[in-house]
Amino acid sequence: MKGRDIPASPARLELENVSASYNGRPALSGVTFQAPHGSQVAIVGPNGAGKSTLFKVLVGLLPLQSGHILIHGQPLGQHKDCVAYVPQREEVDWRFPVTVADVVMMGRYNRQGWFGRPSAADRAAVRRCLEQLAIADLADRSIGELSGGQQQRVFLARALTQEPHILLLDEPFTGVDATTQEATLDLLDALRQQGVTTLVSTHDLSLAARRFEYVLLLNREMVAFGPPAEALSARAIQTAFGGRVLFVDGVAVVDDCCR
Amino acid sequence: MINWLLEPLAYGFLQRGLLAAVIVGVVCAVIGSYVVLRGMAFLGDALAHAILPGVALAYLLGANLTVGAFIAAIIVALLIGLFSRQGAVREDTAIGILFAAALSLGIAMISSVRTFAVDLSHILFGNVLGVSSADLYLAGGLGALVLLAVAVFYKPLLVISFDPVLAATLRWPAELFRHLLLVLLALTIVVSLQTVGVGLVAAMLVTPAATANLLTRRLPSMMAVAALIGALSAVIGLYLSYYLNIASGAAVVLVCTGCFLLAMLVAPGRGWLWQLRPRRT
Repeated sequence: MKGRDIPASPARLELENVSASYNGRPALSGVTFQAPHGSQVAIVGPNGAGKSTLFKVLVGLLPLQSGHILIHGQPLGQHKDCVAYVPQREEVDWRFPVTVADVVMMGRYNRQGWFGRPSAADRAAVRRCLEQLAIADLADRSIGELSGGQQQRVFLARALTQEPHILLLDEPFTGVDATTQEATLDLLDALRQQGVTTLVSTHDLSLAARRFEYVLLLNREMVAFGPPAEALSARAIQTAFGGRVLFVDGVAVVDDCCR
Repeated sequence: MINWLLEPLAYGFLQRGLLAAVIVGVVCAVIGSYVVLRGMAFLGDALAHAILPGVALAYLLGANLTVGAFIAAIIVALLIGLFSRQGAVREDTAIGILFAAALSLGIAMISSVRTFAVDLSHILFGNVLGVSSADLYLAGGLGALVLLAVAVFYKPLLVISFDPVLAATLRWPAELFRHLLLVLLALTIVVSLQTVGVGLVAAMLVTPAATANLLTRRLPSMMAVAALIGALSAVIGLYLSYYLNIASGAAVVLVCTGCFLLAMLVAPGRGWLWQLRPRRT
């Protein structure tokens, strides 16, 4: 695949002292980390910790207030690598009149430009990604007719057709069925093989510890970054989650459902 | 029956009115699809009323009314953007303020000049039977321009409407296309002015598109069905207006509304009758 042979160094994604605000209020400050080529990073923190804000900054939807973001050594906005983003399901207008195939084809718009028509290669990529996520039989359905898990797989398939170098998944494990959760985890394994740098926000601390090489712990500022064993120390979790965490026999239990 | 259909066409002004109404029906329905999907109905109504001071000023200066209307619509669209930027005022509040202000300004200007009296009702409710050949060419030209822009910029307009975040990751200029859509909306409203008037443009924008949305599952077919409903309503409305001797703009809008109610009733999957049908378990 084109562009896959870029050297692994410098780090694929570097953030240095990144701060951003949302609706005029500071939402995130002091985020500094380096995600190497092809690594998988779990972004963990309570509601309102700035996980989505960080993603919005990374896709260029929110301006940087201070700090730097380098994507493969190039500043954000001038980077040539493709960044794909899978939004939380609540952010999508599911009543919009588009079919599953329409949405997945949007992943190829980058190649087609504003006016281009889909090529045979575009159609083949769409078909392949629909099959990879086991939703090929839903191609002609309206997105509004699907179950939550199927809807999420549509957006995962779209992200795949973008053939991204960096993939951002916003809460992909929240409120989906077991099949979709499994499909998402399988996809993460496949992406690791392909050397795609992946950032995943999640509430699930144990999943973050089990399945990811790095964990970024946030609570409006960076609390910790590193391999799970380091980043998810009892003290760091206490700092990030405050009173909503309980330690039972050395296991952290986080109450983050009711606010 | 044939005579019944042909009789009105013997008059040149009715032929022109019919053509103008069909153009307006089609163009409004296509742009209206975006108005419905993006929730811009209130903005469309506001822009329609906002052209009143522009028309009045152009009349006082002896300038072209269409140009005056277009400039006023663009100014109000930009002011709404300015007021609501960075969340100082909610967008619908900004629209509400500017819409009433522009309408009042227009009425104030018109009421100061006695000879306006007749023209005012034409601006508010349209005068489809007064369409001149020049008006028709202008409406046809501007309408074709709007339809061409919608076709050429189909992908960017789809992306900014369905998924603005994707527009950001693609690094497409979402702001630019949002403003393009506003300009197209303003042009459409100006084209519609003579046929249905300020008061009823919003209905032509929203009703056929909302009807089509109930009946279709993809944006291109939604636009096509909306255009068909818009054109049919224009024709049927004008015949009703001729034979029942009622205001033409109102007749067209009422036919549109009839189509919408019918779709609400029978739309497969979404209509009331469909939901009432006994479910097999």
